[in-house]
Amino acid sequence: MPPTRGPLGALNAARFQFALGARYLLGRPLRSSLTTLAVIFGVAVFFSLSLLTPAMSEAYRQNLLMSTGQVDLSVSHVSGASFAPSNVDTVRGTPGVAHATGMLRRNALLPSGTGGAPATVNALSIVGVDPATAYAVRSYALTAGRLLADSDADAALLPSRLAEKLGLSVGDTLILPSAAGTARLRVVGLLNAPPTVGAEDVYLPLGAAQRIFDAPGQINAVEAVFATSTDRSTVAAAVQNRLGSAYRLGELESGGEMQTAIQAGQAIYGVFGFMALLMGSFIIHNTFRTVVAERRHDFGMLRAVGASRRTILGMTLAESVTQGLVGTAIGLVLGYLMAAGMIAGLGAITEQFMRAHAVLPSPTVGSLASALLLGVGITVAGALLPAFAATRVTPMEALRPTPESTAARAARWSAIAGAALLAFAALGLVSRQAGLASLGAVFVLVGLVLVAPAVVRPVATLFGRLLELAFAREGQIAQGNLARQPDRAAITASTMMVGLAIGVALLSTITSLVAGFSGYLDRSFGARYLLMPASILLGGGNVGAGPELARRLRETPGVGTVTSLRHALADAVAPGGAAAGASAAQFQLIGIDPQTFPLLSGLIFSQGDPGQAYAAVGRERALIMNSVLALQLRARPGDTVTLRSAEGERSYRVVGVGLDYLNAKLATGYVSHANLAADFHATTDLLLMADPAPGADPSAVRRAIERVAADYPAFSLVDSSTFKDSQIALFRTIQYAMYALLVAVTLPGLIGMINTLAINVIERTREIGTLRAVGMTRTQVRRMILGESLLLAALGTALGILAGIWLGYVLVLGVSAIGYGGGGMLSYELPWAGALVAIAIGLLVGVVAALIPARQAARLPIVAALRYE
Amino acid sequence: MTPLASSPSVPLVQTVGLTKTYGHGEAAVTALDHVAVSIAHGEFVAVMGPSGCGKSTLLHLIGGLDRPTSGSVMLDGTDTSTLDDTRLTELRRRKLGFVFQFFNLLPVLSAVDNAALPLILDGHPPDRARAAAGDWLRRLGMGERLTHRPSQLSGGQQQRVALARALCAEPRLILADEPTGNLDTRAADEIAGLLRDVAGPSGRAVLMVTHDPRLAAYADRIVFLKDGKVVDETRLGGDHETQIRETREKVAAL
Repeated sequence: MPPTRGPLGALNAARFQFALGARYLLGRPLRSSLTTLAVIFGVAVFFSLSLLTPAMSEAYRQNLLMSTGQVDLSVSHVSGASFAPSNVDTVRGTPGVAHATGMLRRNALLPSGTGGAPATVNALSIVGVDPATAYAVRSYALTAGRLLADSDADAALLPSRLAEKLGLSVGDTLILPSAAGTARLRVVGLLNAPPTVGAEDVYLPLGAAQRIFDAPGQINAVEAVFATSTDRSTVAAAVQNRLGSAYRLGELESGGEMQTAIQAGQAIYGVFGFMALLMGSFIIHNTFRTVVAERRHDFGMLRAVGASRRTILGMTLAESVTQGLVGTAIGLVLGYLMAAGMIAGLGAITEQFMRAHAVLPSPTVGSLASALLLGVGITVAGALLPAFAATRVTPMEALRPTPESTAARAARWSAIAGAALLAFAALGLVSRQAGLASLGAVFVLVGLVLVAPAVVRPVATLFGRLLELAFAREGQIAQGNLARQPDRAAITASTMMVGLAIGVALLSTITSLVAGFSGYLDRSFGARYLLMPASILLGGGNVGAGPELARRLRETPGVGTVTSLRHALADAVAPGGAAAGASAAQFQLIGIDPQTFPLLSGLIFSQGDPGQAYAAVGRERALIMNSVLALQLRARPGDTVTLRSAEGERSYRVVGVGLDYLNAKLATGYVSHANLAADFHATTDLLLMADPAPGADPSAVRRAIERVAADYPAFSLVDSSTFKDSQIALFRTIQYAMYALLVAVTLPGLIGMINTLAINVIERTREIGTLRAVGMTRTQVRRMILGESLLLAALGTALGILAGIWLGYVLVLGVSAIGYGGGGMLSYELPWAGALVAIAIGLLVGVVAALIPARQAARLPIVAALRYE
Repeated sequence: MTPLASSPSVPLVQTVGLTKTYGHGEAAVTALDHVAVSIAHGEFVAVMGPSGCGKSTLLHLIGGLDRPTSGSVMLDGTDTSTLDDTRLTELRRRKLGFVFQFFNLLPVLSAVDNAALPLILDGHPPDRARAAAGDWLRRLGMGERLTHRPSQLSGGQQQRVALARALCAEPRLILADEPTGNLDTRAADEIAGLLRDVAGPSGRAVLMVTHDPRLAAYADRIVFLKDGKVVDETRLGGDHETQIRETREKVAAL
């Protein structure tokens, strides 16, 4: 029969290659499934991420969209601050605008128990509307009662779904927290569907909302609909032109903190996914190197009977593609389930904080394709070098016995390169430059991977001594076995190292941060009593109290000093004014009383003199920045920054850099209450702190404050020591979560170890047969494999802890550099507990990884094993 | 050293109706069919026969590496079919020594460590085990190469290490499966000669499977197998060359 050429021939060749690949894979079910597991893991993490990202972003977008809905135009101030209603007229007067209305919309947290509110509703939007103009802009469909009227003072309109949850109907009284304590509103009507999607909105007359937020005569949004048959973009441009660059068309900025959290979560998840894939490719590489070594005879024979190098390459790659496809397919299913599980778990949180519903999107073609590309891609990439090695097998090799690996020279070069990288990394660390040090951190990981083959033997000898104490008879053989394939052992150990290193690094960073933050905690909450809002994030939807509360507190017998914090959003104009009106940064402004604040709380200064800074804040338009803001604005004490408020642009002199505990993570500036009220219209207290007067009976003072606070359900009285304890407990929880993460990141390492041990067993089948023949019992075989596994784990753990401590130190250095160190370096805390946990995990992984291969080795039938080639 | 456990009149090995079948039903292949063989204390027995006659299977069954389908093996007074895997392994370790065609040394261990394996696995102190293994290696002419790795040794030398490994636990019986199959003629003669020498003194017996009449002629007795059955048996005597010729004729007759 003549040979088939052309496309049909190629197809036949491919079919042969894939069929052979499948046979080989099925011939080693354990190894195939373990290697595939590595692909599955990586793909699952990545795919679930690609599903979660749009789901969370969509939920966030919904949250933003709520405030726009079906209107044509929505206007807010760039800083998010409130402004005068005159802007409504400006918008209404623009040609093409049919109707415009002003509103005051803010998020509010319901203290539990307010107005009989069950715990299911704790966040909603309070929207103050002008009944005279609002109905022309949005349609409100009533199911009961009536709409708000001009004459209404304290009335409310709620979506019937919300009313049901709150157990309210028309004629009932809704109690909301307010600057004056509480506001009692009569429910006059229920709305069918809420006018905006997904929102738990409560509509009040504008005046009532202004009283609740203590913002008399202020609005923070203008909504408009255009006349039909107008060009929307022209009208929008005209509105923008009239209002100036301090106003933004579009949605109100809200949920910014949530978005930051989502982004941080995605970044961590992304790092985790990348790591999983990196480890996966290590594992695949190991497997295929063995596969090729094992089949030298086959390849030689095939070459002898006329297979070309390309056929050999194709065979190996076809096998990897098959494995990649199977792994990806299972990984996709698993990833989908993971994403669904996470959405279910996070659903409650998004509902509560963003009042948006996160829905798992159906996978797009793009996300499926990229997962496929990635899954098959890393498999083929891992197999590529071994596949090329396979093509270099000569026909003669079919006749020769398998040569002992001679990788010594390559190992020496990689050790030298690795040592050089480590040396560079060490220099970076010594320099204490965050940039150099973080570059060094990458070098550490790569360097250790390169050095690993060279240290396999010494480490095996070192730990082998320990091992021989436990299993004197089998320990020595195990030790020799490991040192025999230093490359394979090194790659396996590296897989484990990467996981443990990341875990230990994160743990040590958290430990150091906790230690540093507990210091800030003591400084920031020096006062004895705290009147805390519902959310610890001051800008997180808390309804503040008017000055009345602070005054009553001061007049309470037995109360000494009282101080309070206020909150507003600000926007800095880019210095130089080059891009006129360009916004350099948005951040939060915290209002302080410069006289009392340092007595009860105070900032930890890294630049500037505290006494002078507080004096300046009280005297002039002066600003203390926290280090996050200083970094964002690239400003130093002595500089002047221009902040944009509804009153126009205001210049503030920077007088110091310091941070407090609550706002350490957010870009924050500190100004006086007076300036915050004058320029940013923020007059309500969000956090009050008080000390008892000297000699006062603490419990009596506490009871007196409790009586005052009872009128302000948005606040709860907390002893600062209790609060500090709860914060420390929170840190502990985060630390425990890190331990859990540490376990999770060792998973690919475990797969890699099982894989390598299984490969070792297969490769040494005949040796195991011989050992059994000359009198090794099954128990002894198991112990030998366990010994190898423990040595491998010891190597990975030792490298992992070393790299983890190094990376952790670099991370702490970096965290200090962006200002968490309060100017200096956070003291680095050696993660003793983390190292112990890592060792425990390493031991556990060593034992668990050995289970299957040891069983496999012990069960080998002796005669068949002896014949095995 | 263990004194002889039983009287020389009782054979060291006695197989009764030894049968081994591989596969089931139509595909079943009978490798051994009711074989009765006995080996006396101190005897050197060679097993010959064409490929697939069941030589190796017989050796594996006597050595406790595999279990018979039916029949039994009495080894030094013990019915090996009654032993569990651990007991059987211990029996191998203490009473049997194996020599394989492909030497099967552990590449990670030195010559003396390889030879000492059965003693080390049996829990003997490593120093004493190595000393005993070293003694045997010296007696087999390997005194100069105690610390060499297998990869640094020739085939004949590797087989001597394997022989030392088989001998160091002072077993009652050495089982050799084509021990010279991978060696040149000179090395093969040396190994066969060594096997001849270790049989006899203190009652140690040797069972060697081979297809080479020249090597079989070193034995006291040759058992001929064909299609899983013992077809002939011959006790050798006289000079070596005559024995070789006679054996060749018998093999040719098969």
